[in-house]
Amino acid sequence: MQRRFSFTRLFSYSFSALAAGTVVAMFVLLILQSLPVWQHEGLSFLTGTKWFYRQQQFGAAPMILGTMITAFTALLLAAPLGIGAAIFTSEFLHPRLRLTVKVVIELLAGVPSVIYGLLGVLFLRNWIYDLLTPFDPLSGDTLLTGAVLLAVMILPTVMTLADDALRGVPVIQRHAARGLGLNSSEVALHIALPQSVRGLLAALLLALGRALGEAIAVFLVVGRQDNQWPYRLLSMQPLIQSGQTITTKLASSETNIAYGYPLHWAAICGLALVLMVMVAGITLISASFSRRHVP
Amino acid sequence: MSRKLLHHGFRAFTALCALLACSILGWLIFAIARRGWPAISWQFFTEQIRLVGASGGIFYNLIGTGILLLTAFITSSPMALSLALLHGVYLREGRWKRALETLLYVINGMPSIVCGIFGLIVFVQFLGWGKSWLSGGFLLGIIMLPTVTVALMERIASLPVRYVEAATGLGLRQSQIIWSIILPQSLSGLVTGSLLGLARAAGEIAPIMFTATIFAGATIPHGVKESPVLSLPYHIFILAQDSFDPSVGAKVWGTALVMIGLVFVLSLIALPARLKMHEEAHHD
Amino acid sequence: MIKTTFQLLLLTSFTASVVHADTLKINGSTTVNLPAAEAAEILRAEKKMDIQVDIQGGSSGGISMLGEGLVQVGMASKHVNEEDRAKFPKCEFKEIHIGEDAVALIVSADVWEGGVKSITKEQVKGIYEGATTNWKQLGGPDKRIAFFNKEPGRGTWEVFANWVYGDHKKAPQVSFPEVGGNEETRNKVASTRGALSQLSSSWADGKTVFALNIKAESGELIPPTNENIATKKYPLSRPLFLLTNGEPLGEAKTFVDFVLSERGQALVNKHGYLKLADLK
Repeated sequence: MQRRFSFTRLFSYSFSALAAGTVVAMFVLLILQSLPVWQHEGLSFLTGTKWFYRQQQFGAAPMILGTMITAFTALLLAAPLGIGAAIFTSEFLHPRLRLTVKVVIELLAGVPSVIYGLLGVLFLRNWIYDLLTPFDPLSGDTLLTGAVLLAVMILPTVMTLADDALRGVPVIQRHAARGLGLNSSEVALHIALPQSVRGLLAALLLALGRALGEAIAVFLVVGRQDNQWPYRLLSMQPLIQSGQTITTKLASSETNIAYGYPLHWAAICGLALVLMVMVAGITLISASFSRRHVP
Repeated sequence: MSRKLLHHGFRAFTALCALLACSILGWLIFAIARRGWPAISWQFFTEQIRLVGASGGIFYNLIGTGILLLTAFITSSPMALSLALLHGVYLREGRWKRALETLLYVINGMPSIVCGIFGLIVFVQFLGWGKSWLSGGFLLGIIMLPTVTVALMERIASLPVRYVEAATGLGLRQSQIIWSIILPQSLSGLVTGSLLGLARAAGEIAPIMFTATIFAGATIPHGVKESPVLSLPYHIFILAQDSFDPSVGAKVWGTALVMIGLVFVLSLIALPARLKMHEEAHHD
Repeated sequence: MIKTTFQLLLLTSFTASVVHADTLKINGSTTVNLPAAEAAEILRAEKKMDIQVDIQGGSSGGISMLGEGLVQVGMASKHVNEEDRAKFPKCEFKEIHIGEDAVALIVSADVWEGGVKSITKEQVKGIYEGATTNWKQLGGPDKRIAFFNKEPGRGTWEVFANWVYGDHKKAPQVSFPEVGGNEETRNKVASTRGALSQLSSSWADGKTVFALNIKAESGELIPPTNENIATKKYPLSRPLFLLTNGEPLGEAKTFVDFVLSERGQALVNKHGYLKLADLK
């Protein structure tokens, strides 16, 4: 094939550059727009525990912690369920039913987050409130409520990707194992699971990234309480209290209020930047585990 | 004996997990349909909002969501085609191809609220558009880009090599091969990928709440600047926080039912073909 | 298919070049939004006016968007203060008084039935500053106080803080769970035991949430009734404004005039606020 000018080639390269450029521009703009807050706060933007915008005090640590607590709890809840279900669809289920179940799971993945939010605010809040009664929570708006909602939202991601990873294990190996007298459960536990560990890990990390970045559903049930820094870092207490995550802050009225005040606006952009770096980091680690495909 | 017990126990456990996951969907549909169904009528689709959501229908919300999705489709298609061609045709295995895959991962993981803030900076602040359907459509196009691109990539990868070989044998140039063989053959990938991408974009609020959509009064946009639209998800989001009348409740659920119906229809058209394509691309 | 897409693209870019000038844009307080949005519907139907109403950022959102020239009419449930005027020197904010609303302190049923029917300013201050954390301290049930604070930028919050601290800028910085819209506030207070929040009194339905009487220093109990609001005896009342840049002109004037007309004032009344005539 000779190389000469081709419109198609130009078209492909320029539109790809547009896509890449948008992502790069996102990073660059958020860095530039958040500069004032880094100058004002320095690293204490990340480590400070007080966020009082009227006093121009911007410490994002409680929000970063809130984001991590909700996302990891969600993953902890969704992982066993999702991987369990994936083992069922990939190892035990009849191929014809497999497609049906996968369609159902994909549909679940497509449910808009505002619908989850609506169900969360009207049902889940009250259920969690009743469930937690022995611990005397102040209200049903807790990080746990947000986490449970997120767990449901990332469940399809975990399941689909875990199913893909498990199915990636060569059929030959399964046949060999069956030939040695192992039953299908033992094949799943001793052959398929260990073989697909990297893929499963990648699935969990991608799901974690999704949980970190979800805004609207959590917004309605998490309580949006600033400056919730626990006395003891590793206690369970924050889970049953109201809190704030980075995404809920970004979706709140403060984004509108900040618009026009350079420092406050920089703080909002700084939060967006921190979130983006967190999610991009996790996504990249996940990608390095499994270069197979994007969901 | 205990081996057998373990086997059945384990299988039952995993079946339970799958059942639970599926029943969440069942419950969700039931919960929404039960409350939303009474609100659904022909007028609900053809009238515009009245009395701050308590009365009337969601006509312009449907129109607005439609405009946003059409714009998103027009934005994402050329980018997705380009990226997939680069991945499948132009780039050889190596650094750039990996970079492209990484780019897709990063876009796919991008929190949608960050897209919203980005849009606020670029479109509202720099370009001075105020709220505009075009900003929202573009941002939603970025959100759905990975879904469309991956569907196209998998489709192109699954094209029989002999097609391309035969065409090369006939002396066709690379761009001719692309236009006459690869693109027509991979159209199904574009369609299914786009439908799934649109299903995901349709429910997004975070990218459009600061850039494209308002609560009431917008109709068909007449320009780009200061031309917001109404949308289905934002309507639900606002009414969930702010309604003043019990009759709003039914309308919220009705809107949620329409929203979920729209997403499911888009997904259901695409899913069987898409899942099959995905299986073929990865598991032989 | 590609051809139709292309035609559509052409079509959109063509219509995009036609600039539409006379859309009236309104943004601001969710409280003022109720009558304003209904007035806009009537004008849209009767006078074929093109009016867009949005409620982003509450009163502050209305003020700043008017200040930046993004809307022609702002809606606010608080006065435009000096800070706002300093921030937007080019905008000559004009406040058009359209009615009055009261902010009620609402509690959940268990608190109300547990015997807390009134509250003093000092008691509210104690709760807000975290010194009072249990309803027992106010003669109520032994239940922790779950206080939901209105999010910043809401007119409701400023009225509350102005009453407790004289000036909302003197209010200490506190961190409570925040609520935004009125429905969200009512819903969360109604479904939480020991809950307290600030809410527009027209929303306090007396069935799911209950408005506390304000106990004056003289010991008198003042409920947020229309009469008490009109005579300013009930201390937590606030004016409702439409805001314009200078005297309203053109479409904005038509809108403002309509809200001030008898029909417009009836809408104000319908949504539970006091119309201007009641205030005299």
